[in-house]
Amino acid sequence: MSNERVPDHLQRLWQDQPARGRVMSIDELRYRSRRLTRIVSRRNLREYVAGAMVVVACGYLAWTAPLPLVRAGAVLSIAGVIFIVYYLHRHGAARTMPEEMALTTCLQFHRGELERQRDLLRGVWKWYLAPLLPGLILFYLGPILAHPERAPRGLWLLALSLAFFVLIGELNRYAAKRLQARIDALERDE
Amino acid sequence: MANQDELYAEAIAAYGAALERLARAYDTDADRVRDLLQDIHVALWQSLSRFEGRCSMRTWVYRVAHNVATSQVIRRRAGAPTLVGLEELDAAPAAIDTEGALDTHRALERLQALVRRLKPLDRQLMLLYLEGVDAASIGEVTGLSAGNVATKIHRIKAVLARRFHDTEAR
Repeated sequence: MSNERVPDHLQRLWQDQPARGRVMSIDELRYRSRRLTRIVSRRNLREYVAGAMVVVACGYLAWTAPLPLVRAGAVLSIAGVIFIVYYLHRHGAARTMPEEMALTTCLQFHRGELERQRDLLRGVWKWYLAPLLPGLILFYLGPILAHPERAPRGLWLLALSLAFFVLIGELNRYAAKRLQARIDALERDE
Repeated sequence: MANQDELYAEAIAAYGAALERLARAYDTDADRVRDLLQDIHVALWQSLSRFEGRCSMRTWVYRVAHNVATSQVIRRRAGAPTLVGLEELDAAPAAIDTEGALDTHRALERLQALVRRLKPLDRQLMLLYLEGVDAASIGEVTGLSAGNVATKIHRIKAVLARRFHDTEAR
């Protein structure tokens, strides 16, 4: 057999694979379609519940904390959490509608998915870290200003928290960079 | 225009077996292959409510199937084996089979393993080629230019010829 004919033979080999002929009934398709919608709704609900729990906890703090700066920090944290939940709801949905999949070429679809993930990671300061930062700083500053004798410990903890934020930001930036490399590779193929 | 259910039945009658082969080319685990195939069927059925004949049924079916499969590849990327491009496969030395000519079963297993190693776009191209889809339609499904499709198919043939030269038609 000559090498030129090998691919043709492999095409036949591939297409002759035994198939089970799996067919889904329309009822099964409807059921699975509804289940998929329920899974997405439950995931969204979990995000809202987690956000609501933080809002309730910060709301309690805003109402009862003796220090005005801590109360202000709690209010800012509530605003930050609401913004994060809104942003995730608006931009974080992982599911593309099936008809969009049919109207989009594989290359466009793949690039679009990677770009969406890259933007989410690249913008982590904008939509996740920055909204939480003002509240966090006020939580620490309140006790530091009220009790200057405990300031070194408070400042130390504040610095540690800020370093943690920077670390999260850098890890996300690195992940976004890796996604960008995959996007660049796809663009080279076009 | 036929309704969604009729279109689905028509699509599965024509491409059901190809969808099974496609799902098997994305995973070795039987449960995950079954889940992927179900996801493809559901997405295809849902999508057909909007089918207006702007492209052929074949292009529609393959786009949905490959895009559903690719979204799973992207999600499972962490911890998954490193995927390679056709260029890397073409450059790498082909494994020599010491047991002589491959029988049909082993050749198919080796072919599936080769397809699963490929990056999504190259995997799509290889699968469409193996299904006998013509170059113009491959361009329509993948979004690659005609020139690029021709180059890639040439490379696919070279890779297959080098790696399966010991395969006999049986």
